[in-house]
Amino acid sequence: MTEVLQVQDVTKTYMMGSVPVDALRGVSFSIQKGELVSILGPSGSGKSTLLNLIGALDRPTSGTLFIEGIDVSTLSDNRLAEMRKQVGFVFQFFNLIGRLDAQGNVDLPLMISGMPRRKRKERVLEALRKVGLAERTTHKSSELSGGERQRVAVARALVNEPSFLLMDEPTGNLDSKTAQEMMNLVVELNDELRVTVIIVTHDQEVANRTRRTLRMRDGRIVEDRVN
Amino acid sequence: MNVRDTFSYSLGAIRLRKLRSGLTTLGVIIGIAAIVALLSFTQGFQVAISSQFQEGLATDVVTVTSGSGTFMSSPDEESDFALYTNDTALIGSVEGVLLSSAVSSKQVTAEFDGSDQMLSLTGVNLTAYQEIYSTFVTEFGEIPTSPADNEAIIGHTIYDPWGNGTHPISVGESFNAYYTVRNGTTLVPVNITLTVVGVLEEIGSSAFGPSDTGLYIPLGSAMDYFDTEEVSRIVVKLASSDEDFIATVSSSIEELFFGEVTVNSATAILDTMESILGTVEILLAGIGGISLLVAGIGIMNIMIVSLMERTREIGILKALGAKGRSILVIFLGEALIIGIIGGGFGIVVGSFLATIFSSGMSPMGGQGPSRFSSSSSLTITPVVTPTLMVMALLFGIVVSVVFAIYPAWRASRLMPVDALRSE
Repeated sequence: MTEVLQVQDVTKTYMMGSVPVDALRGVSFSIQKGELVSILGPSGSGKSTLLNLIGALDRPTSGTLFIEGIDVSTLSDNRLAEMRKQVGFVFQFFNLIGRLDAQGNVDLPLMISGMPRRKRKERVLEALRKVGLAERTTHKSSELSGGERQRVAVARALVNEPSFLLMDEPTGNLDSKTAQEMMNLVVELNDELRVTVIIVTHDQEVANRTRRTLRMRDGRIVEDRVN
Repeated sequence: MNVRDTFSYSLGAIRLRKLRSGLTTLGVIIGIAAIVALLSFTQGFQVAISSQFQEGLATDVVTVTSGSGTFMSSPDEESDFALYTNDTALIGSVEGVLLSSAVSSKQVTAEFDGSDQMLSLTGVNLTAYQEIYSTFVTEFGEIPTSPADNEAIIGHTIYDPWGNGTHPISVGESFNAYYTVRNGTTLVPVNITLTVVGVLEEIGSSAFGPSDTGLYIPLGSAMDYFDTEEVSRIVVKLASSDEDFIATVSSSIEELFFGEVTVNSATAILDTMESILGTVEILLAGIGGISLLVAGIGIMNIMIVSLMERTREIGILKALGAKGRSILVIFLGEALIIGIIGGGFGIVVGSFLATIFSSGMSPMGGQGPSRFSSSSSLTITPVVTPTLMVMALLFGIVVSVVFAIYPAWRASRLMPVDALRSE
C-alpha cells in the first residue's frame, strides 16, 4: 500500500488579534491509497484547520505533512499551488463559478494546469460522466439543483486525477435524500474507481458510511477507528 | 494557464458585468478620443497654416512695415514713423534685395449689383507686384503695363463668389467704391469709380500677398484717392529664400531705418506660428492626458471593487492550483481588454469629433457674403496618422494596465484560506 498522505505531529497556531490560538496540537496519521476516511469532529475541534493543511491551502506551524511523499510544510507559495493539483478539493458550498457552465467549471483545474484545449474536452466529459451528469454539461450552475452542483464540484475535483478527493462537509448543504445519493456516489467512486477519499464532517451519519473514522476534539485526534 | 485561456477567462469576467465594464471602457474611450481629436485637429490646423503660407507667399519675400514692435505690440507704443514711396530706393540699396515695391491699402466698401462688400483696396506697382508675387496673374483680362488711374484688377472670389457662374462683376464693367471720412461732425463718403481690367487666377487662402478678395489699382491712383503720402508697407523680393540670408537682410533693412521699421518674413512668421501651435498641441494633449488619467483611476477603482467581489472566486482558483501569477495575469488581462476596446473606439470617436470640429471651423462654401468676410479662413482637415493611432492605442492600453497593476497584485497576493472564507 502506498501512502498518499502522511501527517506527522502537525500543529497550527493562529493569532486572534494578539492572542495565540492552538487550533491543532500535534496531529499524526497517514492515509493509504484507496482508503475512504472521514475526519469527524464538532466545530472548533480543528478539523477545518486540518482540512486547509491537507488541501495545501496553508502550512503547519510545526510538524511535517507529506502529500504523495512530498513535504508540503515548507514549500513556497508557488510550489504549494502546484501541490493543490494533487488534491481534489470539494467545498461545502460547492464553490462553482456562476458564470461558467458545468463543463467550464470542471475544465478549470485543467485550464489552470495549462493543458491544451483539445485534450481537455474529453477528460471533462469523462469526469462529468463519472458523477452521472453526462446530460447536463452545458447548464449554468444557477440552473442546477444543489445535488447536481455538488456533483459538478466532485467532477471538478476528479478531473485532474488527483491523489485523493478532499471533501469538506459534502452533504452539509443538501437535503437528506440528496445527501444519501451523494454518499452513494462517493462510496461508488471509492469502490469502483479506487478513488482515495477524505471527508471532513461533523455528521455522524456521513462518518458511518466510511470505512475509517478519525475523531477529533480540541485540536487532537482522539480516536482512529475502522468501522 | 495558457494565453488564450487567460484571455477568454478575463473576457468572460468582463462580459458578466456589462454595464460596469462598459462605463469603465467609456472612460478610456473619452480619454483616447480627446487626445486623438485634439491632436489630429491641431496637426490639421498646422498643415493648413503651413500650406497657406507656402502657397500664398513666396518665401523669398519680406514685408517692411513701420513700427519697431512685433505684431504683438500695443497701440500705445506705436510709433508715428511712416514709410514713403521713395523708401523703396533706400531698401533697394541693401545687398541681397532684388526688388522692392511700396503698397498702400485701405478697407473700402465696394458696390456690386446693389450689394455692398467691405474689401481691401490695395495700391501697388502692378508690374513690380507681378515680379514679386508669382500668384499675381490674371485668369481673364490682363494686367496693364501702363495702367490708367481707374483700372482695377480683382481677386477671383469677387468675380465668382458662389462658384456657380453668377458674376457680380466681370472684365470691362465698372463699379463704385467708397470710404468714409469725418469732416467736422459730418461723415463724408469718398468715392472712386473703377473699371475691371483683369481677374486674378484663384489663389486659395493666403494671409499675405495677393488675395482672392483683393482689389488692386495702380499705386499712384491709390495714394491720390486715399489722400496720403504714406504707404502701408513695402514688399521686398530677396535674392534667396535661405533662412539665415533672410534674417541677415532683414536686420540690415531694420538698421537702415534705425529700428523704426519691422521686417517680417513668411518663414519667420511660420516658425513663430509653428512654435505657438506646438505649445497649443502640448496643452491640448495635456488636457486629453488628464481625462485619460481620470479614466485610469476609474479602472483602478473598478478593479478594486471587482477584486473585493471576486475574492471567493480568486480563492477557488487558488484552491484549484492557480498560482499568484495566473491571478495577476487574469486581472491584467481584463484591463488589457478594456484598454484595447477603449483605445480602438476612442480612435474612431476622436477622428469623428475632429472632423466635426473642423467642419464647424471651416467656411461653409456658397453662402455668398460670408465668403468675402472670411477671406483668410482655413480649411482644416484633421490629420489622423497611423502613428497617432498606434500611439493612442498603446497609450490607452498602457494606462489601463498600469492602473490595474495594484489591484491585480493585491488579488494575486490573497491567501487561499482567507479568500475562500469570504462571502
